[in-house]
Amino acid sequence: MPDKELIEAYNYDSFVPEKYERWLNFESSLPLGKIITDFSLWDLNKEQTTLVTEVNQHPLTFIEFGSFT
Amino acid sequence: MNAVAEKYAHWDVGALFIYTNEAHPGENFPHLTSMEEKFDHARKLRDRLGVTRRILVDSLDGKCHRAFGSMPNMTWILTNSGMPIYKADWTDYVSVENALDYFLNMQERRRSGQRLVPFSVKRLDYRESDREAFYRRLAENGERAVQEFKEAFG
Repeated sequence: MPDKELIEAYNYDSFVPEKYERWLNFESSLPLGKIITDFSLWDLNKEQTTLVTEVNQHPLTFIEFGSFT
Repeated sequence: MNAVAEKYAHWDVGALFIYTNEAHPGENFPHLTSMEEKFDHARKLRDRLGVTRRILVDSLDGKCHRAFGSMPNMTWILTNSGMPIYKADWTDYVSVENALDYFLNMQERRRSGQRLVPFSVKRLDYRESDREAFYRRLAENGERAVQEFKEAFG
C-alpha cells in the first residue's frame, strides 16, 4: 500500500467497522519473549528517539498505547 | 495508570504512553492528517487528560502501533533489552499491577539463586466497564463519535 494510502487508511476519519476493524490485529502482534525490532518515536518537543532506547532506561517498562479519543 | 507509574517508579519500573491514531474521531478531535496535528493532540492528552507519563508520538502511519497489534488502548511490558513479556489488548491498572508484581518477584527469585526459565500462559483478565463515563469522554470528541460508537456497538 502506498504511504499516502496507508496513512489515510490508518488515520480513518470515522469509526465504522469497514474502516477500523482491519487494524485490530492483536493476535498477530509481536510475540512475547523475542527481542523487538526498533521503532522511531518522538517526544512532545519533536525530539526523535527509539523504543529500545526508551525501554533500555529501566529493567521493566510498561507502555500504554492510546490517543485523546 | 499515572498512579501505577508513580507506585512502581520506586522499583525502577519505567512508564511510557505512545500516541497512536484517533480511535473515535469526531467534530472536536478529527482524524489525523499530519504530524503537527498528532503532536497537538498528544499535548492535549497531557494537558487536558492529565497524562503525566512520558508521552512519545508514533509515526503518522503508525508503524510501531501496527507492529504491536493496533488496538486502541492496549498495554505491554518490555524488558530493558526490548523483549515483550506481557501484552494485553486492553489497559487495566489491576492487570498491569498484577503483572508487574509477578515480574518484580521473579527478579527477586533470580537474585536469590533460583534458576528460572520462561513459559507462556494465556488467561482472561477482567476490567471494570463504566459505560456512562466512556460516553462522557466520547462526547468530548464530538457528537459524531458518540453516534458512530452507538451504531457499531449499541
